[in-house]
Amino acid sequence: MNTYYAANLLIYAGVDIIACLALNLQFGVSGIVNFSFIVFQAVGAYTAAVLSLPPDHTPGFDYQIYVGGYQLPFPIPWLGGAIAGGLLAVPVGLVVLRKLRSDYQAIALLVLSVITNQVITNARPFLNGAAGLASVPPPLSSQLDPNTERYQYLYIALTAVCVVLVFAVVNRIVNSPYGRSLRAMRERELAAAAIGKNPVALKMTVFIVGGVIAGLSGAILVGFIQLWAPSVWLYPETIILFAAVIVGGRGNNIGAILGALLVPVGFEEVTRVLNTNNLNFGPPGLLSALQWVAIGLLIIGFLWFRPEGVRPEPRRVFAGSPDTVEVELVRPA
Amino acid sequence: MSGLPDQPMLVADDIHRHFEGMHAVDGVSIEVPEGQITGLIGPNGAGKSTVLAVLAGTLPASSGTIVFEGRDITRLAAYRRARLGLVRTFQLPSEFARLTVLENLLVAAPRNRGDSLFGALLGKRYWIDDELRLVDEARALLRRFGMSAKESDYAGLMSGGQKRLIEIMRALMLHPRCLLLDEPMSGVHPRVVEEIRYYLQSLRAEGLTILMVEHELRLVEQLCDSVFVMAQGKLIGSGTMASLRRQREIVDAYLVG
Repeated sequence: MNTYYAANLLIYAGVDIIACLALNLQFGVSGIVNFSFIVFQAVGAYTAAVLSLPPDHTPGFDYQIYVGGYQLPFPIPWLGGAIAGGLLAVPVGLVVLRKLRSDYQAIALLVLSVITNQVITNARPFLNGAAGLASVPPPLSSQLDPNTERYQYLYIALTAVCVVLVFAVVNRIVNSPYGRSLRAMRERELAAAAIGKNPVALKMTVFIVGGVIAGLSGAILVGFIQLWAPSVWLYPETIILFAAVIVGGRGNNIGAILGALLVPVGFEEVTRVLNTNNLNFGPPGLLSALQWVAIGLLIIGFLWFRPEGVRPEPRRVFAGSPDTVEVELVRPA
Repeated sequence: MSGLPDQPMLVADDIHRHFEGMHAVDGVSIEVPEGQITGLIGPNGAGKSTVLAVLAGTLPASSGTIVFEGRDITRLAAYRRARLGLVRTFQLPSEFARLTVLENLLVAAPRNRGDSLFGALLGKRYWIDDELRLVDEARALLRRFGMSAKESDYAGLMSGGQKRLIEIMRALMLHPRCLLLDEPMSGVHPRVVEEIRYYLQSLRAEGLTILMVEHELRLVEQLCDSVFVMAQGKLIGSGTMASLRRQREIVDAYLVG
């Protein structure tokens, strides 16, 4: 296993963990079935790409056409990607989350995901259509050589910092009184409104925060793989992340991390190992097709036999509870 | 913020509620005086629960006005009415199942610094004092309602009667000015019915205003200072239970339905 391969694995893991933490906040904690999650990752990636690419008439980049091309230095593309994810959440949330019942919300978001992908694929002048953007300059590539081992370690470190930051943010939200209001809304929205919670405001906030985090995950990924095209953010990518959150444990941040490592990362690895060791069988492409079958079975299996996931949502027990000696709520020193 | 001293706390004037041509509530006017328990009775399908939902803002009124403590709240969303102190409960159990009993109470408490995105991001140190104060307040309620031993259990695992109590306690965490109770005794063991009756009487003694929809006339007689009677979306009478019993047509409407 060479360094580049290890870096590839770790950065994909980091990106998937960040995405799953955001999806867990939206779906696991707040009950928003965001079937267009991958679109928010994609908008972050495209934004980061056009912020770091030079204009599309620059020699060496003129085989593609795209808007923007601002050549901005790191970390602006990453921040821009995160902001773009949050900005996209505003109009989408206002249309989808205000009036629709939650099952229709899920359908509307799924349709949005398909439409967005189709539009970007076919409107070539916007983001180079189906071919997508390539040669996206990695962060700091004007100062450092991206093809060195040291750069790989740097990228891993940057990704790790983002993972820690995102984990801290979602943990603070989930384990706060605000997180409790989100869970109450998930359990019974009408009753939450009856005790003074504004369900639309709660959902919009979570949708935007999740959009920001998803956008960041896209920015990190595009800086590393240096290309981004409609084929990498088809709607089934969202289903993989849902599988991860369900397997890991809805409502549990550690569960979301475990799920990210087990499902997207784990599946990629298994197929890769099977392919490279010539254990392939059947026609080409069979293994990756079976991967989808396996993910479907995984979701159904967990929902049937262990709906709470590997790491279930914790039951919050407060210090001084009469039936237990567990202590959770203590004043920090 | 109180209304004029001689004004009822909650006044609904000529409220209508239509569902695609069906007049569930057809011009109902009721008044809920401060510090009393007011009953709303009538046969199944009379529109009692719809009136309650319109008063609480769960359903918007098709027409009519609702004034709470001198303020027109007809257009206010449900959550904003709850924040003003007009808090409802539901006919069907509506606990937050995957929250513990204690959390069901805590989540309803206003004025917790950690109950906003900003407060949450600032961290536990910022909101822990509010949280500890509210835990004490919630535990006092749990003791009063005899449910202390259950505080760390998931609310979804409680019995029907316990869920009723949770919902009443949850409403009380908002320090309501007026409670709207939708059949608080329905589907509850007779012993628990007596408990709930006792609690409601003690809340009234503390000055809480209550409007309750109820089927069980014996309970209405014991609890309610005055009663409104509905049938087929309209108000057909009001007064004390004793005076209503003497009105032939009301007894008929109720019994014939």
